[in-house]
Formats: sequence, structure tokens, C-alpha cells
Amino acid sequence: MSLALDGLLAISLVVLALQVVTGASLFRSIVMFVVFGLVMALVWARLRAPNLALAEAAIGAGVSGALLMLGYRRLRAAGPEATRPGPRSSRLAAPLSLLVAGLVASLGWTALGLPEALGAAGAAVVAAMPSQAVANPVTAVLLVFRGYDTLLELAVLLVALAGARAVEGPAGPADLAIPTMTGLPIVGALLAALVPLSVLVAGYLLHAGGNAPGGAFQGGAVLAAAGVLLVLTGRLVPHPVPGPVERWGAVLGLLVFSALGLVMLARGQGMLSMPGAWSIYLVESAMLVSIATTLVLLLGAAPGLRRGPLP
Amino acid sequence: MNFIQVAATILLVLGGFFYFAGTVGLLRFPDVHSRLHALTKADNLGLGLVCLAMALLGGSWRGAAMLLVIWLLGLLAASVSCHLVAQAALEPAAEPPTPRGDP
Amino acid sequence: MNLLLEGFALFLLLNLGAGMIRVWRGPSPADRMSAALLFGSTTVAMLLVLAEATGQPALADVALLFVMLAAILSVAFVGLARTRGAPPPTPTPTPGKSSGKPG
Repeated sequence: MSLALDGLLAISLVVLALQVVTGASLFRSIVMFVVFGLVMALVWARLRAPNLALAEAAIGAGVSGALLMLGYRRLRAAGPEATRPGPRSSRLAAPLSLLVAGLVASLGWTALGLPEALGAAGAAVVAAMPSQAVANPVTAVLLVFRGYDTLLELAVLLVALAGARAVEGPAGPADLAIPTMTGLPIVGALLAALVPLSVLVAGYLLHAGGNAPGGAFQGGAVLAAAGVLLVLTGRLVPHPVPGPVERWGAVLGLLVFSALGLVMLARGQGMLSMPGAWSIYLVESAMLVSIATTLVLLLGAAPGLRRGPLP
Repeated sequence: MNFIQVAATILLVLGGFFYFAGTVGLLRFPDVHSRLHALTKADNLGLGLVCLAMALLGGSWRGAAMLLVIWLLGLLAASVSCHLVAQAALEPAAEPPTPRGDP
Repeated sequence: MNLLLEGFALFLLLNLGAGMIRVWRGPSPADRMSAALLFGSTTVAMLLVLAEATGQPALADVALLFVMLAAILSVAFVGLARTRGAPPPTPTPTPGKSSGKPG
């Protein structure tokens, strides 16, 4: 039974990917991509990786779907020609893809046959876990064992935001017209229920990340989704000048993590060492704020956001 | 199988029936609005039955409360989504409908 | 019991596959969007069932996440099905409930 389930999941992944890439209608490809993200989250769940399933659900199925939909709307505003898919694939496509598939299959077959590496990092992490302040090995790897990587990832997020700003120019892209139907009372009810709940769920995922799957990234993605909802329904409108919330929010994670690291260095305990669970939660909270702010600003394509007029 | 497992099985089978009905409605009904109607109603009832079955099997109050929250949020999201999509379907389409089964 | 749960998950996955037919056929964007709604609800049910079957309560958190993000796609979709250049339509007035004010 498990084999049938897993086999069907694998087959649907391949079929969905084919549909996304070779579809004749751009909108259909977008919907197929969202479904691909959903099935991918299921696959992670089957592979006993709930952290990855959480991340895939939040980013791949939710936020990416909204991003693609918004991009499609902007393309449509440019004219009906813009959303016509490009020329059909060349005659080399089929033999080339078969060749690549064969290469990947043979590589995978060889990799499956290799013996277990001695002294693999995973075994060392699991052995070192009982002495850590948190019980979730993924959080421990992110913040304790590979803290440098996470710090630099925060820097990359900031650079991405700056890069998007540089590409768009000082005014940002033309504003998307907010559809009138988002003024309906039902949308107001949705926001009234969902936005405060998102804050709660984000905090829950952050706190759960210590001992169970969760963490700053997943919580930040939920908060970002709430922010994107507010932007999509016109409750938050783009503004050419970022306010203090946006500025501080974007750099908070990097600031707090670096400050803690430097303080630890000054106290002689080694750069980026985490003296206890409180430091891990502190850094993760700052990361959550940064991730959420960056994602909302990127998706809203806005240098800053202001509260919009009530519909 | 004890009583709880029997009850959970019955609820699961019922939930599966409703999911099946929703999918059949999506595929066979003639119009986008009737499809939406069948889908939203049947799927959310199926979800409620599945949540109830899982709550029975889980055995903890905390788990049951989480499942209740998931179902209620699912209802909220589905109602609003159905309403918005139905309204959007009323507007004149910007691109001509693609023919069935186009490559 | 585990076998039944995994079998139910398989059944839901087959439902997903059937829903893909609607994405393939269309014909309107609203049809494809409603299939996406089906996928969201079915995936939540699958995750809940798998959480019980494989003993990973964290999957219920994933289901919670899914449900919270379910509405975002529909809200992003709204505003697509409009003829280019036409002014945004006013929402259809809800029929019925008279406020009782004297005419």
C-alpha cells in the first residue's frame, strides 16, 4: 500500500512537472505549478521530513502561487500578446531530455550503491544532540552547528531586497489595480479572522521549532502570507518611501544575530556560540521579523507600505 | 478492532464518499458555478468527517482542538475562495476559453 | 488500521489525479482555480490522515499551514478575469435583506 501511494506521488510529480513546462496556456501552467508544490509537500511528509514539508507548504504552494498569479496579472495588463507562451520546443528537446534523465538515473543508481560515508556529519549531529539546548536537530544545525551559514543567508535576503529595489527603480512598478470585489464584507471578515491568527500561528511555529518541526523560516512565511493578503486586498498600499518599520524589519535578523555573535566573541566564548535556549529563541524571533518583512516587500513590489483606505 | 476504530472507519468511509462526490461534481457538472457549489460543499463536509475520525483516533484533547481549528479555518478559506472565484467567473473573460485537451 | 489509513490516502491521491483533468480541460480560468481549491482541501485531508498513519503529529502543523495559506491564491486570482481596459465592475448587490426602512 505504501509502495502504491509513494509510486503514485512520484508519477504525479513527473506528470505535473511536464505539464508546467510544456503547457500551452500560461495560466494552466501556473495552477499546475501550485499543485506541484502541494504534491511536493506531501512527498516531504512521506519522507519523514516535516520541516521541509512546512517550508514547501508555506513557500512553494502558498507564497509562490501568489507571486506567479501577480506576475501573470501584470503581464496581462501589458497586453494579450504578453501571456502567449513562447515558441514550441525544438526537435532536440525530446532526445536531450531523455539523455539527461538517463544520466540522472545512472547517477542515482550509483549513489544508492555507495557505502555509508564514515564520520558523516549527520551522525555527529545526532550524537551531539543531548547536550544542546534545543531538541530539534534541524534548529540545532541551523543556529548552533552551522550558524555562519544562517547568518550569511540573512545577508543574502537583505541583498536580494536591495537588488530587487535597484532593478525596479525608485518608484517601483506600476500599481496593480485592486479589484473592487475585495471590498466585499466577506473579504473583511476573512482578514479579521486570518491576520491575527497568522500572528498566533507564526509565534506557535517559532516556539515549536525548538523541540518539534517548525522554526523561524516557517513562522516568517506564515506572517508574510498574512502581509501579502493585506497587500492584495488593498489594506496595505505601496509607498515610494520605506518607513521605519520596513527599514528596521528588514535588517533586524542580521543585526541581532551579528550582535549576539560579536558579544559572544568579546566574552571569549567563540563567535556565534549560543549560550542557551534564550539566545536561540531571540535570534529566531529576529529572523522571523526579517523574513516576513522581506517577503512582503518583495511580493508587494514596494519600497514601503502604508495603511490603505478602508473600503 | 475496538469501538473507536470502528467509528473512525465509518467516518472515514463517509468522508471519502463526500470527497468522491465533490470530485465527480467538479468533473461532470455543466457550468463553473455548479461545479464550485458541489465542490465546496462536499469537500468541506468530507474534511470535517476526516477531522472527526482523526480526532477519535488521536485520543488527545489538544489534538482534537487542533483538528477543530483546522476544519474551521478550512471552512472559512473555502467559503471566501468559492465566493471570490464565483464572482470572478461572472465577469467577461479576457482570454478566449482554451479548447479541451489542447497540448 | 494503518492499512486503512494509507488506503484512504491513496484514494484521496486518486481524487487529486481526477481533479487534474479539470485543470487540463478548463475551459475558463475559474474552472482551473476551482480545481486548485479541490487540491488544497484534499491535501489537507491527506496530511491529517498521514499524520495519524505514520505517527508524525507535526504533519498536523503542516495541514494548519496549508489551510492558512489556502485563501491567498484565490485572492491573488481575483482580478484576472477582466477584459483589458474595462473598468473594474461593481460587486453584484446582495439580493434580499431589506433594511426595513420606510421607502
